[in-house]
Amino acid sequence: MTRRIDQGIDRGAAFRFDFDGQPVVAYPGETVAGALLAAGVARFRTTARSAMPRGLYCGMGMCWECLVVIDGRPSNRACMTEARPGMRVETQRGLGGPERS
Amino acid sequence: MPRRVEIAVIGAGVAGLCTALFLARAGREVLVIERGAAWGESSGANAGTLSLQIKRNEVLQVSRRAIELWRDFQEIDGIEVGFEQIGGLRVATSEREVAMLRRSQGEQAALGVETEWLDGNRLRDMAPWLGPDVRAATFCGWDSMSVPLTGGPGLARAVERAGAVLLADSNVVSIRQDGGRFRIGAGGNSIEAERLVIAAGAWTGQVCAMLGVDLPVAADVNMLTITEPAPHLIDRVITHIGGILSLKQYPNGTCLIGGGWQGRGELAAGTRETEHVSLMHNLRVAMQVVPDLAKLRMVRSWAGYEGVAADALPLFGALPGVAGAYVNACARGGYHQGPALGEEMARLMLEGRTGLDMRAFDPRRFA
Amino acid sequence: MKTCDLAIVGAGPAGLAAATEAAELGLDVVVVDENARPGGQYFRHPPAGFRPVGETPWEKDIRRGQSLFAVLGHPRVTYLPDAVVWDMPEPSVLAVAAGPRSGRVQARAVILAPGAQDRPVPFPGWTLPGVISAGGVQNLLKGQRIVPGTRAVVAGNGPLLLLVGANLVRAGVKVAAIIEAAPIWRRLPAELVRLVAAPPILAQALRYRAILAHAGVPILAGWTAVEASGSQAVDQAIIAPIDETGVVDRARRRRIDCDLLVTGFGISPAVELPRLLGARLRYDALRGGWTVERSADFETSVANLFVAGDGAAIGGVELALAEGHLAAQAVARRLGRLHAGEGSTWEARWTRLDRFRRGLESLYRPPRSYRALITPETIVCRCEDVTRAEIERRRGEGAASAVQLKAATRMTMGRCQGRNCLPTLATLLADWAGTEASAIAMPRPRPPIRPIPIGDLAVEDLPPPDLPADPHLPRGRR
Ligand SMILES: Cc1cc2nc3c(=O)[nH]c(=O)nc-3n(C[C@H](O)[C@H](O)[C@H](O)COP(=O)(O)OP(=O)(O)OC[C@H]3O[C@@H](n4cnc5c(N)ncnc54)[C@H](O)[C@@H]3O)c2cc1C
Repeated sequence: MTRRIDQGIDRGAAFRFDFDGQPVVAYPGETVAGALLAAGVARFRTTARSAMPRGLYCGMGMCWECLVVIDGRPSNRACMTEARPGMRVETQRGLGGPERS
Repeated sequence: MPRRVEIAVIGAGVAGLCTALFLARAGREVLVIERGAAWGESSGANAGTLSLQIKRNEVLQVSRRAIELWRDFQEIDGIEVGFEQIGGLRVATSEREVAMLRRSQGEQAALGVETEWLDGNRLRDMAPWLGPDVRAATFCGWDSMSVPLTGGPGLARAVERAGAVLLADSNVVSIRQDGGRFRIGAGGNSIEAERLVIAAGAWTGQVCAMLGVDLPVAADVNMLTITEPAPHLIDRVITHIGGILSLKQYPNGTCLIGGGWQGRGELAAGTRETEHVSLMHNLRVAMQVVPDLAKLRMVRSWAGYEGVAADALPLFGALPGVAGAYVNACARGGYHQGPALGEEMARLMLEGRTGLDMRAFDPRRFA
Repeated sequence: MKTCDLAIVGAGPAGLAAATEAAELGLDVVVVDENARPGGQYFRHPPAGFRPVGETPWEKDIRRGQSLFAVLGHPRVTYLPDAVVWDMPEPSVLAVAAGPRSGRVQARAVILAPGAQDRPVPFPGWTLPGVISAGGVQNLLKGQRIVPGTRAVVAGNGPLLLLVGANLVRAGVKVAAIIEAAPIWRRLPAELVRLVAAPPILAQALRYRAILAHAGVPILAGWTAVEASGSQAVDQAIIAPIDETGVVDRARRRRIDCDLLVTGFGISPAVELPRLLGARLRYDALRGGWTVERSADFETSVANLFVAGDGAAIGGVELALAEGHLAAQAVARRLGRLHAGEGSTWEARWTRLDRFRRGLESLYRPPRSYRALITPETIVCRCEDVTRAEIERRRGEGAASAVQLKAATRMTMGRCQGRNCLPTLATLLADWAGTEASAIAMPRPRPPIRPIPIGDLAVEDLPPPDLPADPHLPRGRR
């Protein structure tokens, strides 16, 4: 089944953004989390301390679990960030950038 | 039945625990009496900055020795104090501050603490993350950082391993001198001690008053802010010639921002809150020095007491007029200096003299 | 500093109702909300670009929301979306972080309407991708028209489970089961007398029930999720019976395949701001834990600080609307814009809804504790990956208090600021002390009450700081 509910809604024109090198479809006004989940992506990041997988949890900006790297900047909440055409989204591993050795 | 000990130490912050550690290691019987939980006040709430070059000239020698001891704690004694000697930059952001920094560098060199002058490209090469407002900095290889959060429990265990006893939740409310002994009333306990060390931090004035000694101790309310964990950005301990910034990034990616900005609160009422506008100024200074901080989120801020004597020098030595009583408290930047002040206090009590010159800190200066 | 008569924190049902009432009564109002669009959780709606085609089950709520949003265009109302209240340095001042619009707002009175947040109940696997809170799933459905899975189990406690379950069914998701911790079927007959106090809400609940029945979705009452299994994402929910004291019968556990485990163990009032300001709170397990004490006018123990809706005590959307109106009327009376006795049409309604709420609360009264779900390997603090075993090990090493456990494990220190683990820490501490979570003092929040970009602090015009001539010298009092 599709994960977008099509009944009763016209989403307008689709666009794409890049997730870990793969194109992901989104519609204007969708959040990054919404578009990723619609594409069947559940894992958004791995944790810094034990590399455990995490995804969307509270869906309202409170839990800070759905962090992704966007255009090179780490720690964006996928549930609070609107998808934009051409943006580069990456799975966030740990801090989402170089760590001190 | 009162509990009898040879030496009672009042206060289980860095000053009290380090004093107890060196006394116990020398085989003395020590009881540390703590009002709340060990490490629960300044020593647990501070920034863990161990910067030699920001210290007043009078405490440079003590502070240098202290860095050696922090390293020993970590590397020899295996206490998790989070010690890392990454070197520090003390920055200046105006002509006036550049002149102050020059003067300070000269004074420190004369006292045997060499720092490296950095400006222009040499400064940017070492620290490309500094903002354009930073005109110059001195680099001090001694400067280090530590993690107060984990240091406390480790140090408390080391103190106990050395044979001292820790008595928590025992507020000292009365001290009497009786037949050459001190009778201490603390949280329902009665304790008898031959000698006494007051290491009660910001409360040192109150405790000394129990023995009729008046020392001018003020309680500053310092604020700190910590950021979300972020990728590696800052790899030195940053301080400011104006004394208005301390900044470092921990291995877990969080950045800790302070600088002695004052919150609100009263020691007597037990209140210590952040102050909105000061906090904003603190973070503005941080952003001026490291502009990339603007992109990070702040996650928590807090405030803690720092006890400071009127002249901002440590209160270290025999308590005037009370034989057998000593005070070890209120060094500005006292977390850093704690181990060396503890070592010297133990030496003073055991040998009757100190290794370093501690005369400027004698509490008799206020008598 | 911007000034106004009334500042309202939150543009959900309570906040919007308060704004509507206040604007009509002639007050100058500022409404601040951290979301980009108004409506809070309940009136979440699709983005502007989504155009409705024909009539769907969602349209009625959307129209209702839209009519509430109208107030945000009122000439006496200033609306600040995407704006986080991160501090209240005084009960009359909001510090707002909103990018280039950041700054302070000074008001003669404040109505807090911040709503609620999920009540965390940790169990093994609750951190796996695909385990999503009921509120989060509702937001995806309402705000995005997206479902985050194909085969769902909905587990937890409270009326929201029926709603989410029915919505998922309507969205075409296979819902394998609804797992409700409270034995609602057994209790239902006794509560009907109070539940009929709000016929429309009751009718709605029956409709959801019918949708679920029609789809053949079983509702297991007196059961709970005890584990989510999977390696990179959830692939099974494990459920077991739980009794009213919290004892779990693992011998009878069952496994259900799913790629979505919706969890909702109730919600808790977002009490950070009242707590920050020192307002008196009261523990009320049935209303979400820590609730805000209020006068009959919805004023807190701090003068001119009011709280309306779920932000004070959980009561649902209709009650929140009523409280918004009533609180705004109280503010108008306080400011001399309304005379005593005027404008009280909402009171009777509030009383009726409150009766309904009591019925619902006792129907859904949760088990005394969920501590049986927190096995040693369960992550308690999601931000720092701290397990129960690790907390207990640190306790064994001497970390006894909340403060010491925080320092030793780093729990509560992450970005969620303890929202996902402090209630559990309170439960554990209460267990060890042989008391109730209500007896455990929670640390006072300090600003920022939400993580905010440091750059937002550089926006406001401030007088230059008073710098000490000699930074070494003491500044505090003797
Ligand atoms: C926010 C902040 C940041 C700081 N940053 C730094 C820094 O980066 N580097 C640095 O070197 N310094 C820093 N400081 C200063 C430093 O924290 C203190 O100088 C140092 O911790 C003092 O240690 P102490 O043992 O004297 O005091 P404390 O740690 O306060 O210990 C005193 C103890 O005595 C106990 N006590 C008091 N009265 C009684 C009584 N009547 N009976 C029993 N017990 C009693 C108290 O409960 C307390 O535990 C900072 C301070 C603050 C507040």
